[in-house]
Order: sequence, then C-alpha cells, then structure tokens
Amino acid sequence: MTSLVSANGVTKRFGSFTAVDNVSFDVESGRILGLIGPNGAGKTTLLKALLGLTDCEGQLSVMGLDPFRQRKELMQNICFIADVAVLPRWIKVTQLLDYVEAIHPNFSRKRAEELLQQTKILSNSKVKELSKGMVTQLHLSIIMSIDAKLLVLDEPTLGLDIIFRKEFYANLLNDYFDEERTILVTTHQVEEIENLLTDIMFINDGKIILDSTMDALADSYVEVAASGADADKARGLGPIAEGQMFGKSVMLFEGVSREHLEGLGEMRTPSVADLFVAKVKGARA
Amino acid sequence: MIKHQLALVRRELWEHRSIFVTPIAIGSIVTLGVLAMLVFASGFAAELDIAIFGAQNLAGDPERKAALTGFFLGTSWIFMMALAILTVFYCLDSLYAERKDKSILFWRSLPVTDAETIISKLIVAIIVIPVITAIGIIGTHIINLIVTSIWVSMKGGDGGMLIWGSVAFLDNWLAAFIVVVASGIWMSPFIGWFLLVSAYTKRSPLLMAFMPLFLIGLLEGIILRTHVFAENVLGRGDGLPLFHTVNIEKFFNEEQWRISEDATNLLAHLDVVQFLTSPAMWAGIVVCALLSIGAIYVRRYRDES
Repeated sequence: MTSLVSANGVTKRFGSFTAVDNVSFDVESGRILGLIGPNGAGKTTLLKALLGLTDCEGQLSVMGLDPFRQRKELMQNICFIADVAVLPRWIKVTQLLDYVEAIHPNFSRKRAEELLQQTKILSNSKVKELSKGMVTQLHLSIIMSIDAKLLVLDEPTLGLDIIFRKEFYANLLNDYFDEERTILVTTHQVEEIENLLTDIMFINDGKIILDSTMDALADSYVEVAASGADADKARGLGPIAEGQMFGKSVMLFEGVSREHLEGLGEMRTPSVADLFVAKVKGARA
Repeated sequence: MIKHQLALVRRELWEHRSIFVTPIAIGSIVTLGVLAMLVFASGFAAELDIAIFGAQNLAGDPERKAALTGFFLGTSWIFMMALAILTVFYCLDSLYAERKDKSILFWRSLPVTDAETIISKLIVAIIVIPVITAIGIIGTHIINLIVTSIWVSMKGGDGGMLIWGSVAFLDNWLAAFIVVVASGIWMSPFIGWFLLVSAYTKRSPLLMAFMPLFLIGLLEGIILRTHVFAENVLGRGDGLPLFHTVNIEKFFNEEQWRISEDATNLLAHLDVVQFLTSPAMWAGIVVCALLSIGAIYVRRYRDES
C-alpha cells in the first residue's frame, strides 16, 4: 500500500486562531475516507491545504507533490467538488465541456456526455437555468469523467434533496470508485455515507480525535443497552458516553472487548453519529 | 501553454459577450445613422443627398475626401471611446466577478495556474479587444462605403470613382489598426492596475480603481504643488507617442471647416518607430507587468474562505 496523502505536523493559523493544529495522518490509495467534524473544526481548512489552495506549516504531501507549490501538477490528478466551489452561472453546458476538455489532459468528453444523457440537463442550457440539484449533477458528471487519482468532496450534497443525495453517492460508488482511486469526503449528513466509507477521521478544534478504518471501529467500539444491576456493572467498566433510550442506559465503550460486556445487555456497533458525539463531548470535557 | 491560452481567452469571450456585441451595436447604429442621413437629405433636394459624401455638382474632390475622412475619424473615435470604457469594465470585472459568484474555486480546481489565468486576461484587454475594435471600425467603414456608393450610384453619381477612388482607404485602415493596437499597449499600465484592483477589492471595484488615482493627483497638487502624477498618469491618454508633431492648422482647415486635403492620408501622420522606441511606452509595459504580478500574487495567496 502506498500513501497517497501524507500529513505530518500540519498546522494552519489565522492570526491567533489555530484552525488546524499539528495534524498527522496518512491516506492510502483505494480508500474512501470520511472526514467528520462540527462546524469550524478545521475540515475545510485542512482540505484547502490538501488542494493547494492555502499554505500551511508542517509537511504535507499529496501524490508526492507539495500541494501549494505544485498546484498545477496536482490538479491534473485531483478533482474536487466543494459547496463553495460553484460552477459559474453564465456558462453553457457545452462551453463547460469545451473548456474542461481543452484544459484537462485526463478528461473524457465522451464519458461526460454519456453521464449527462442520464440526466435531464440539456447541453445548451446555461448553469443559471438549472436547479441546484442539476448543477451538482453537472459538476459530478464532469468530475467523474476526469481520470483522477484523488477525489475530494467537501459537503458535496449540501442543500440537495434526499433523492439527489442518494443518487449522488450511488453514482459515485457504482460509476466512479475503483481500487485505483481514493475519495476524501466531508459531510454533516454522516448517516448517509457511513456505509460507503472504508476509513473515518474525526476532527475537532483543529485536532484529529479519531483516525480508524471502519473495520477496526467495530472492534474498538461497542454500545450496550443495559438496565438495572447490569447497567451498574457496565458503568463500572468505564463507558465513554451514556444516554437513556426506552428506559435503558445505552453506554458506549472504547477498547473494552465484547467478552467483558457479554450478558450485560444488547450489544451493537455504535453508529458513526453516536460515536462522533461521544468523542467530541469527550474531547471537550 | 498555447492550447491553454486559447481555451482561456475563448472562456473570457464567452463570459464577456459585450466584447463582440458592443462593436456590432455601434456598427449598426452608425450604419442606421448614415442611412437615415442619406434618406433625410434626399428629402431636401435631389442634389443634396449626393453631396453628403460628395458628388459632382455641389462638392468637389477636396470636400469629398475631407467628408469621407471626417466620417472615418468620427466613427473610429466612437469605437475607441466605447471599447476603452468596455476595457475598463472588463478588467475590473474579470477577477472580481469570479470571487463574487464563488466560481473561483471551480476555476482553480482545474490544472491552470494563476499566472496563466491573469495572462489570458491581459491578452484579452491588450490584444483581443483592440483587434476586435479595429475590425469593428474597418468593417463598419466598409459597410458604410458600400451603402453610400450604392446610394450615390442610384442618384446618378459614379459611386465607384466618387467614393472608392477618392481616399487612400487601405492606408487609413492600416492607420486605424495601428492607432487602436498602440493605444492598448500605451494604456497597459491602467489595465494592470485595474486587474490588481479587480483581484484585490472586496467591493465596488470601479470606485476602488479610480478614487486612489484622483486622490494621489489631488494630494500631490495640494501638498507638493506639483502635477507630475496628474500629467503622467491621469493625462497619459493624451500622450500616445505615435503621431508626428501634428500641426493642427494644417490638419484641420478652419476656414472651410474640414480636414485639409493633404491630411486625408492618415497613415502619413503616424510614426511607428517613435512609438516603439518611446521610453514611456516601455516603462508602461514594465508597470503593467509589475501590477499584473501583483494580481497573480493576490489571486494565489488570498484565502477565499
């Protein structure tokens, strides 16, 4: 396995505010990594550093390139969709395809046209005439027609309705993703993507508070719903979070093996959302 | 690199359609004006309409040449003023609109450097717009000469001889082309300045572009009691070093209220060598380059979040 992204002590300050604080991680190729964090946690800043849109301290390498200093080379192999990177409203669909075709060495116009044919987007429409969902479809069709090694998605489905959101991720998985490619995605709607992720990273206050594969997550974290004496016993094992549901105490354990918890109550792997809340609260306590 | 530039320049022309639409609009208005004038004049007297661009009885050869040259100069002037204003707005918009509509991150998500982007905008402002202006001037002129010569012929005059045979049109068209292109190069420091303002300003680019220029001129006048900035920067448009010392009395015959006959070859007034060897012209290019590098720097280093 080769590291596609390698960050070592990456820090980004805006005046006295530290948006990304000494962050280190590796992303191997062929993974789908979810970067989850509350608003203002530093996700977007970190992605911008990866995309060479902002300079940062520390060592950061993406496909062996320094993103900020070798942005042009990097952009031949990276694509990104961000809620803040919107398509220009004045451009026509055909003009957009002409432009990307002329600029991007790895763009397949044929594929983009095939993908667009599956949508209701007309080739002579202007972007401003399309709905928000269609603009995202258009953007995704272009991105999926670029043979890039890394795809970065920053809140790609923000403001879209559920049908578009489902379609978006289904297209991404079925038509785009393969072993050669790597996807890095941030979103608030964790539930929608947790089944597609292979890896997950939580970020809070500029720091990484969890960096794990999804498989390892099931081994490290377990949720137990217990009541009465069993609940007290479970509490003794030191849960990282506890809540109430249907009269039972639901406790979340980190690094406690399932054998220890056997018989205390109903066990299951916690959802990413629950785990995230527990970790963020834990980090703030 | 060249392929990228072609795509980038084409992109600019898609976004700023006024670069094409304006010359077509001006050309149409001028042509309609000439047609209206011809029709209007023919209401007075059968002879008079022919006289507009000179026919046998009322106007002689010098008058006709003067009228045709005057018409050409007037049309060229309208085009140059309109396209100069258009260039100001184009430059001020070119790096501001993409931030305002948030498309900048999309453009920057493609493998194009900020330098390539700024260069494409310089090419449009300094080369493409002037060339389109020159084509607009020459095209409008040709259309109006055709219209007028047809009109003159319909009225019994020899349009071929009276219109086409009178003035050295090829020389004048070449002169127009040289003046328009040289003006773009001469004014390039302003283009660099407008691009920098466009890349930098958070609001009202027009105000941010002109206010500092006038303030500096004003402050220099009040504090130092000199006018170096006002004369050299604000007055730069008057100093295009392309013309021979023009003797205005020789050029424009005030008594007869027309351009002197021996002045109607416009190319003869130009001195291209003087322009190309002008230190002020080269200094302008250097200033334009420095300001453009500033614009590249701002686009590259500013965090848009």
